[in-house]
Amino acid sequence: MIEKIKEVVKKLFKEDKIDIFIGYGEGTLPLRTTPCFITGPDNIEKLVWNSYCFNNLAVYLPRFFLPQLQKKDLKFPRIGILAKGCDGRSIVGLIKEHQIPRENLYIIGINCSGMIDIEKVQNAVYKMQEVEIVSAKEKSGKVLVENEDNKKVELKKEELLAEVCKNCQYTAPLIYDVLIGEEKRKTKEKERAAFIKEFEKKPLEERWKYFQEQVSKCIRCYACRQACPNCYCKECFADQTRPKWIGATENISDIMFFQIGRILHQAGRCVDCGACVRACPMGIDLRIFTYKLIEDVKEFFGYEAGISLEEAPPLATFKPDDKQEFITEP
Amino acid sequence: MENAKLKIIKKKDVLKFLDSLKKEYDIFVPIEKNGDIRFSKFNSEKDIPWNYRNTKIPPKEIFFPQTETLFSFEAGTSTLSNGSMTFTPIDESKSSAPGNKNYLIFGIRPCDAQAFSLLDKLFGGDDFQDPYYLEKRKQAIIISLACNKPQITCFCTSLKGKPDNEEGADIILFDLGENILTKPITKKGEEFIENLDSWFKEAKKSDVDKKNELMDLSLKKICSGVNLQNIKEKLDEAFDISFWNEIHQKCLGCGICTYLCPTCYCFDITDEIDHVAGGLAPSRGKRIRCWDSCMFPLFTLHASGHNPRLTYKERMRQRIMHKFNYCPENFKEIFCVGCGRCIRNCPVNLDLREVLVSLMSLGSLCKDKKI
Amino acid sequence: MENKNNWEPKIVAFLCNWCSYAGADLAGVSRTQYPSNIRVIRVPCSGRVNPFYIIKALQNGVDGVLVSGCHPGDCHYISGNLIARRKFALLKSFLEYIGIEPGRVQFSWVSAAEGGRFAQIIEKVTGEVKKLGPIKKMVKEF
Repeated sequence: MIEKIKEVVKKLFKEDKIDIFIGYGEGTLPLRTTPCFITGPDNIEKLVWNSYCFNNLAVYLPRFFLPQLQKKDLKFPRIGILAKGCDGRSIVGLIKEHQIPRENLYIIGINCSGMIDIEKVQNAVYKMQEVEIVSAKEKSGKVLVENEDNKKVELKKEELLAEVCKNCQYTAPLIYDVLIGEEKRKTKEKERAAFIKEFEKKPLEERWKYFQEQVSKCIRCYACRQACPNCYCKECFADQTRPKWIGATENISDIMFFQIGRILHQAGRCVDCGACVRACPMGIDLRIFTYKLIEDVKEFFGYEAGISLEEAPPLATFKPDDKQEFITEP
Repeated sequence: MENAKLKIIKKKDVLKFLDSLKKEYDIFVPIEKNGDIRFSKFNSEKDIPWNYRNTKIPPKEIFFPQTETLFSFEAGTSTLSNGSMTFTPIDESKSSAPGNKNYLIFGIRPCDAQAFSLLDKLFGGDDFQDPYYLEKRKQAIIISLACNKPQITCFCTSLKGKPDNEEGADIILFDLGENILTKPITKKGEEFIENLDSWFKEAKKSDVDKKNELMDLSLKKICSGVNLQNIKEKLDEAFDISFWNEIHQKCLGCGICTYLCPTCYCFDITDEIDHVAGGLAPSRGKRIRCWDSCMFPLFTLHASGHNPRLTYKERMRQRIMHKFNYCPENFKEIFCVGCGRCIRNCPVNLDLREVLVSLMSLGSLCKDKKI
Repeated sequence: MENKNNWEPKIVAFLCNWCSYAGADLAGVSRTQYPSNIRVIRVPCSGRVNPFYIIKALQNGVDGVLVSGCHPGDCHYISGNLIARRKFALLKSFLEYIGIEPGRVQFSWVSAAEGGRFAQIIEKVTGEVKKLGPIKKMVKEF
């Protein structure tokens, strides 16, 4: 597939259709790739496509189209971007929220077969920190990892897929200019929300304990926010001083406020790409909370984020007969 | 002969050894928690993860915690003539004092120990003395643990480090398998071991040989490196070169690299005010300092709304310049120890080594390359 | 000093200017009795209530929060309460999901003519919050 990608990108540069292309380049660590910005046809060879291209590239788009750039009479760049299903849905969200102009984008959609969760590789073979993986090779559904003592272990890719990818239902973007690759995977609808349902069954106090436990790991590096394409606010509520919503310390109540606030802001916008979970250095289980809102939005308002450009965002609209069993009656 | 000071303690005795010191010292050891290893207070741990590579959160948090109350105050009884309240500081000795115990940091990696010696230059420099840091630091004994198995992200050898680097530590330990070889580095360390002599035995030549062999092997395993010769001079000329236009592109602007860096020391000071018992007037408060990061836009945001480091580019440049240019200027030291935490934990694999390599590979920074 | 036996909850009530606030007014002028545990904050519309206000109130140690607006269809601004209804549905469900007692945060519709209904709702909410006891979760400790 990488040859096809390179071919398309080369053509785009040749026909002068884009100024910048955002894709993935070789990473410096095993099981990693790195976002790669290409400005001309000479650097196309840098591009790669494998099972570690997990970064959501849509996060980079809004910064090219900031209003202050427009004021300076600068022409907005034309951007080509490689988009997996999740990236594509994020792009839809950003277009819908008027953060990026569709006409300045050339979306190369790619059918993604799921990305590998590094933690899973490490936990699958070795106990934490005991062995260092020095290289990894991928070949037809299998991953060959090698440790520092030249021991090799072969693992099945299927078993290493990130949770978000395992349950992905849109492997290719819904809006694109070119689509590469064929759809291969279909995931079972029922299994997707199983972990939410299970969590809901737990007693209230147990749920609170889990939430507290997860939140207490947070060091407030804001990687979850920064990695999220939806978090493009010029000033995050966490940084605001008037009003000052939260203090600057590691006070657990403040961190809870931040996490609840950020997750609520994702209501009807989160596409479950898993960027926040992957970015978090402390391994906070954010998805169990973000996915709840996805489920609720679907159940209450029949809305799914990043699917269509026309449908109004769920919190900007209403139906006269919206669910209201939660309203207190005397 | 140097080797005379080398002592041996049985690995299985170490826990007992630490336990016996519990009353005298606040002991910090690497402890496994939530799937990560972090320096925490030694209580009655069953084991020490001898094979741990390094902690995710650097041990700087022991002396320079993420959140630290500098002092607290409460509403005074006297009111000013205009009716506003006065605040009286609460007895300083009560706020944030580390207690009378000494600190014993056991088993930190040599790179992190070196980081302490860098932080000492900042917090204990000639111009400013930071009482909060120094109070804890002065009483502390640092016992480092040489690396038998460095990580692929380690590049300490490009800076001043190596697997058995002694800078910043009072005693260095070598894990020889069943035995731990101890080597005092400072006078403080020497005295510490002398006072607890009954726990130790003289090291044999075979132990020393084994140690040397392990360290040679370990050194060979650090295979990534950057030649940083004259990087300060290079950066002197580099503030406005086009290099910065591209290097920041993939940065997300999170605080991982700075928060997890053992030498990053920037902090923010805020007041937290409490309204006791539902009263409208603030009745008590505290002044807090907490970690801040140059990667956040808020770091340089002025009250006027102007931000001198508006984009990722300026912030990324600041991080590199601060570590590799400003600090060498001010403290004659590069503020990086090559622990690799920023590389390992970066969500977009923005590799500091790569940035440095491409920086060093720039030819002479002639004027026409500037922005 | 707070005594366990005669502890009274503090409840913040965000009341919309056009209906619920007037409803409270009516309850007052009609001399209808209701518990004095609520602290009223008048807002232009229930749609004005940012979910953050509610979380912030809990963080500051308020034992319960009530948001009350016009009945659906009666909003002074046509649809403010209907937009709010969507926000609140998600908020309420989410807070319960993470383990905050459902009784702590409540929503209701009270029109300007429903003084009696207002009193009944306050009665009910106060009773429920009282049963839950003083808030412990989310509260910021100084």
